[in-house]
Amino acid sequence: MSTATATNVGQVTQVIGSIFDAEFEESHLPDIYNACIVDAETKGNTIKVTGEVQQHLGGGRVRCVALGSTDGMVRGMQVTDTGGPLSVPVGKGTLGRVFNVLGDPIDGRGDVEHDVRWPIHRPAPKLEDLSAKTELFETGIKVVDLLTPFVRGGKAGLFGGAGLGKTVILTELIARIASQHGGYAVFAGVGERTREGNDLWLEMQETEMGKDETGRIRHVIEQTCMVFGQMNEPPGARLRVALSALTMAEWFRDETGMDTLLFIDNIFRFSQAGSEVSALLGRMPSAVGYQPTLGTEQGELQERITSTNKGAITSVQAVYVPADDPTDPAPATAFSHLDAFIYLERRIAERGLYPAIDPLASSSRILDPQYVGDRHFNCARRVQQILQRYRELQDIIAILGVDELNEEDKQVVHRARRIEQFLSQPFIVAEPFTGKPGEVTSLADTIRSFEEICDGKWDHLPESAFRYVGSIEQAEEQAKRMQES
Amino acid sequence: MAKARAIIKRLRAVRNIRKITRTMELIATARFKRAMDRATEASAYTKKINEIVADLAQADLKIDHPLLQQREEVKNAIVLVITANRGLCGGYNASVLRQGLSRIQELRRGDVTTQVEVAGKRGISVMGFQGYELERTYTHFEDKPSFEEVNELAERYIAEFTDGTIDRLDVAWMEFRTASRQEALVETLLPIGNLQGAEKVEDAEPSASVDYEFLPSAEEILEEIVPAAFKARLFKCFLDAAVSEQIFRMVAMKGATENADEMIGDLKQRYNRARQQQITSELAEIIGGAAALE
Repeated sequence: MSTATATNVGQVTQVIGSIFDAEFEESHLPDIYNACIVDAETKGNTIKVTGEVQQHLGGGRVRCVALGSTDGMVRGMQVTDTGGPLSVPVGKGTLGRVFNVLGDPIDGRGDVEHDVRWPIHRPAPKLEDLSAKTELFETGIKVVDLLTPFVRGGKAGLFGGAGLGKTVILTELIARIASQHGGYAVFAGVGERTREGNDLWLEMQETEMGKDETGRIRHVIEQTCMVFGQMNEPPGARLRVALSALTMAEWFRDETGMDTLLFIDNIFRFSQAGSEVSALLGRMPSAVGYQPTLGTEQGELQERITSTNKGAITSVQAVYVPADDPTDPAPATAFSHLDAFIYLERRIAERGLYPAIDPLASSSRILDPQYVGDRHFNCARRVQQILQRYRELQDIIAILGVDELNEEDKQVVHRARRIEQFLSQPFIVAEPFTGKPGEVTSLADTIRSFEEICDGKWDHLPESAFRYVGSIEQAEEQAKRMQES
Repeated sequence: MAKARAIIKRLRAVRNIRKITRTMELIATARFKRAMDRATEASAYTKKINEIVADLAQADLKIDHPLLQQREEVKNAIVLVITANRGLCGGYNASVLRQGLSRIQELRRGDVTTQVEVAGKRGISVMGFQGYELERTYTHFEDKPSFEEVNELAERYIAEFTDGTIDRLDVAWMEFRTASRQEALVETLLPIGNLQGAEKVEDAEPSASVDYEFLPSAEEILEEIVPAAFKARLFKCFLDAAVSEQIFRMVAMKGATENADEMIGDLKQRYNRARQQQITSELAEIIGGAAALE
């Protein structure tokens, strides 16, 4: 970094929570988004905080967001303008490592080998560079592959309220995709529990993904880099950590040309941090108290997560839905950027059916005969029609009972209840809890199974036989086992 | 607001359903009274006539009446299923149909050509949906079946049975025992073989000791009384069905109205919450906006 000279050094003039003001010479104001470092000692404590310039207040004063704790910061401390935005190390040296928002390793394994650092604020790829390919990305999870197929090089969002299993699905996807995937993966932990990040890190060290040329077993972590800015960090860190992770992912995309995976848990915390910062910066709150710049911030981040003709970034993002209300502005703005949209529903989770994906609210851009083919599309639509009809009938059933339905509707209810159970599936990462090994169901099996259920081929099996199985043959086996016991 | 409005819409729908179920409950209560009077009156007659037939059977006479003959080989049978014309009566139709269908399947497994006859629109539509071919259907038996209508049916069955077109007639219906106890049954009405079965119901009375004198002759009396007993029994089935339907409807509608009430309460609460939440957030926005302008 540039060294301190008389002209790029200023003084802290005000500290409000995680925001601080600094005064520079009028002619040497740091640019917006420049990183400024406060490195000083007070009463025996050294503090080192990086701030990011957000506003020019006039009179040589700038307002910065602290990317670390401002504890112990006092007026009059020296502030050094680094002359550029915050930058993080990129390159293959980052693989297998864990970073914080500033790009410093936090896994206690010493320095990171790197040749270059890239600034975290970068322009989104140009329109002409974007890749136009649309290809299905198989996950082996029945409900996802059938109703919300992922796009290779696209973005998928997992929406859900508190405790519905967003993080579980995300780790499951990491276990499924990353272990079979040849390219690199970047995980961004944004404002979630630190413990979950630690669990994931340990798990990745254990998960195997084949052997290398020398016959040594390789682990997922060797192809992965993780960046954490969890709940305990100040809002500035949570606001920028996604960008730090994204920058590392962009390097893999642009410089190696490999398919890169980017997992973000949780994009809502990014918006939330923005809202906390916004209030401190003195912006007028907008709808539901969010920052007026909600859409811009989200857009700047999301538009960079994209596939170009150099390489692809396939991204899966968890999105917390406050109070189970998907019309809340934060999830609603994230929604518009996604290719596949998975909505987790509390009523399904309450019945113990995981993944608790709502088959009617979830959707995907490529669930279209043009991309997935007529057979897949028709099968998905039939499943949705049956479930939709069942949902419409639910009030009537609640009041009058199933006996009052006509025969067609009774049959719809019968199949819908089986389909609901069949949408559940044992997870690889949930094995310790369910005691069942995870099931990877191929897309062809998934489509065939659902078609057969819709056709009524399996009407005779009891409902519980469909619970937590892979393909339909396993349901049949389970029914047999249940009869025997 | 979208959420609150959706709740209101649902609330309105549930209220409308409740209106219907409540009305049906009241109607069923009124009709039940009348139907029960008819059924109890008829049951006294049926009981007596069954008693007499049973006595005759025990009177060590040479009984020889075509309707009493057990055919050695049953080739053709009719199963008559008595259901309701209307729904909104809980499990009434379903349980009668279950009995009827299991008998039909049983007969067909035994290689008996079985004709299916159904009374009541509900039964007709269910059987039609399941792909059964219905020989005859009746929809004119309402909650006051008249003896003339049933008689017409009975005459035909007697004729077909006597000339050998059918060897057996089974009826599935909801038997009315008491106001709180009904049971879906399927029984063989022709040939009138199970007099013992009929007797069992009234076995409390030791009527066997009565000594009858027949005038002009036992045969002629049999000629009269056996068809009459059959008709009375068939008629009783229809009457039972009518009462049971009303009872089932009463119970089902009472339950439905209660469910609807519960649902209305729940929806109201949810609506109020959604509304309050909206007001709170709007207030917060206004106050926040005003504070930011200062």
